[in-house]
Amino acid sequence: MIAAIARKEFSEIVRDGRFKWTAGIMAMLLLTALLAGYQKYSAYMDLHRMAQDQTNAQWLNQGDKNPHSGAHYGNYAFKPAGPLAFFDNGINNYAGTAVFMEAHKQNFAIGRPATDQSAIGRFGDLSGAMVLQLLMPLLIIFLGFTAFSGERESGTLRQVMSMGVSNRQLLWGKALGIGTAVLLVIGTCALIGSLALSLAELPSEGESLPVRVALTTVSYLLYGAIFLFLTLAVSAWARNARTALMVLVGFWAFAAFLAPKAASEISKAVYPTPAFGQWMAEMRYHQMRGFDGVPPFVRFNEYTKELFAQYGVDKVADLPVYFVAVRLQKLEEYDHPVFQEHFGRVRDSYKNQRRLQDRIGIVAPTLPLRSVSMALAGTDLIRHVDFVDAAEAYRRDMVVKMNDFLGKAAVSLNSSFGSSNFMIADEEVFALVPPFKFESSGLRETLAEHSGNLIALLLWLAASLGLALWAVRRMNVEEG
Amino acid sequence: MLQAIDLRKSYGDNQALKGLDLTVEGGDIYCLLGANGAGKTTTISLFLNFIQPDGGTATVCGLDVTEKPLETKKMLAYIPEQVMLYGNLSALENLRYFSQLGGHDYSQEKYRAFLQRVGLQREAVDRRVKTFSKGMRQKVGVAIALAKQAKALLLDEPTAGLDPKASNEFSELLLKLKADGAAILMATHDLFRAKETGTRIGIMKEGRLVEELSTDEVSHADVEQIYLRHMHAGGHYLQEDEQTA
Repeated sequence: MIAAIARKEFSEIVRDGRFKWTAGIMAMLLLTALLAGYQKYSAYMDLHRMAQDQTNAQWLNQGDKNPHSGAHYGNYAFKPAGPLAFFDNGINNYAGTAVFMEAHKQNFAIGRPATDQSAIGRFGDLSGAMVLQLLMPLLIIFLGFTAFSGERESGTLRQVMSMGVSNRQLLWGKALGIGTAVLLVIGTCALIGSLALSLAELPSEGESLPVRVALTTVSYLLYGAIFLFLTLAVSAWARNARTALMVLVGFWAFAAFLAPKAASEISKAVYPTPAFGQWMAEMRYHQMRGFDGVPPFVRFNEYTKELFAQYGVDKVADLPVYFVAVRLQKLEEYDHPVFQEHFGRVRDSYKNQRRLQDRIGIVAPTLPLRSVSMALAGTDLIRHVDFVDAAEAYRRDMVVKMNDFLGKAAVSLNSSFGSSNFMIADEEVFALVPPFKFESSGLRETLAEHSGNLIALLLWLAASLGLALWAVRRMNVEEG
Repeated sequence: MLQAIDLRKSYGDNQALKGLDLTVEGGDIYCLLGANGAGKTTTISLFLNFIQPDGGTATVCGLDVTEKPLETKKMLAYIPEQVMLYGNLSALENLRYFSQLGGHDYSQEKYRAFLQRVGLQREAVDRRVKTFSKGMRQKVGVAIALAKQAKALLLDEPTAGLDPKASNEFSELLLKLKADGAAILMATHDLFRAKETGTRIGIMKEGRLVEELSTDEVSHADVEQIYLRHMHAGGHYLQEDEQTA
């Protein structure tokens, strides 16, 4: 029975002119978006590889010099795009793609692709994710808003309901029929897209890729099902097809545009990002005056006593390590908690904003889906923060390796205190620092962070299904 | 087969049905006559459980339609004034869909046989019904009723707007169904057809059944005269009836 209803619904939809147009446009957009996304992704990854190789070579071939000067010469960390960035570019356009890593300073990520875009870039990239998040609901609405309301208007509902079919069976059948028609369009595109991509080069971070693809698929299926049951609920509830369409398109605009914008504005107001000038001044203050109120030079004088005691000496010239190198490293380390605090403040404001956005996300299914989608694609804030943290860890390691080498290799300079211009580091020394390689945190962390969003999607599905069942139970067969 | 007992229904202040008692047995064609708004369509909608009665019961083969709505609908077939079909599906696809909804499934040949039996042209069977005339749609409606093997039929002015030939063909089909033992309740304005095809006639006025006749006991002229007398009687038919009696 349900199969018969589904088959009739499907053939009716497919034979309707509406379907040919909407499906055609949808398919064209989706395929274009997937291919354009892939092209952009592969261009980015080529550039990324080239830049990272180049900066690694520059680091090694920077010429013989004092190793601490080598740390000043510095190195770049470039962010890989993320395993499914070709499908969902997430915050990549706004988040910075490179971190300059040097002695004494932690730097912000620079190179935001958005700064190179014209004003039209504000509308966002045409990506597979955007097409599915914004246009798939419209496709479902257009194919489904007449499901009950149209049959009520044309009078067929009266005859259908006279046959002795239960409202529930009618709902399941229609959901199945419309769902199949939608899947026909999107599934075909996804198939063509993935076939085309499998011929091309696949993303690197491949280990969790099948799981990511599977989970992304499930999330979008959930999202589609939410809109499908909402559409059927409104179609059964509304007096006529026009009302149904207006209510549904209104909800779509709210979910796809208003709610995300409002969520981001509210989250920014509640957890403001520190103003750059003030933030900088506060960090400088902590650096100069010491994080715990003890100025760095005072602390270092204390440390000098410990150092002398440790080696049982009473003057610099007798130390078995180069004193200048020790001081450079110590002063570096005194800054670590300062950086941690102040960069942490910025990061926490972003994290809190995102968490609040996720919590607001319960008002519209588009918000949790968007979060889950970019997290699975590896283009979200968490992965960006991971990258920034990885760059900082790499920077500290680089600096400590250079200072340590200086400390060991330049002991003889202790007696001529002050002159540290000593060309003792060559390519071999710089090679102590391995090339930067970013391993993002695994899928497990991603899922743990987004369990709330997945629950929100499931709650939406339950609510829309409940609404649909309620609407068909009290459905009138007649207009008015 | 079809029975209404003290059936009542109001829409706001308007009492559409004021206690209707009616029985249609198998092999009966019961024609409900009455002006628009007399409660004919309300009666049919109540039997189909499309609306809830305010009082009384409607039963099909002894089952209360509000208690067993799906079971009673399975025994009913309904043909409205305009049989509404899916324009983008062929006659056969429409027939198959409605049959499946009613819980029946037949072979392709059987569906063709049903459509042939109601007199649909062979070439129209696989055509999309958006090109169909009203007469052709009504035939598909009857085919749906036939395929449902219904024990009772509810017809709401099924021949309104049909040309005389189509109307006559429709009546022939009703007589076949009657011969098969179906209970048929038909709301109509066609006094001639009511007398010709019907076995019994009920005249409704303002939500009440005011007269019941057996068609073999009256002439065409009688039917018309009795009908018009009730229609002209204003709101005080009971007193006038008593006075004239």
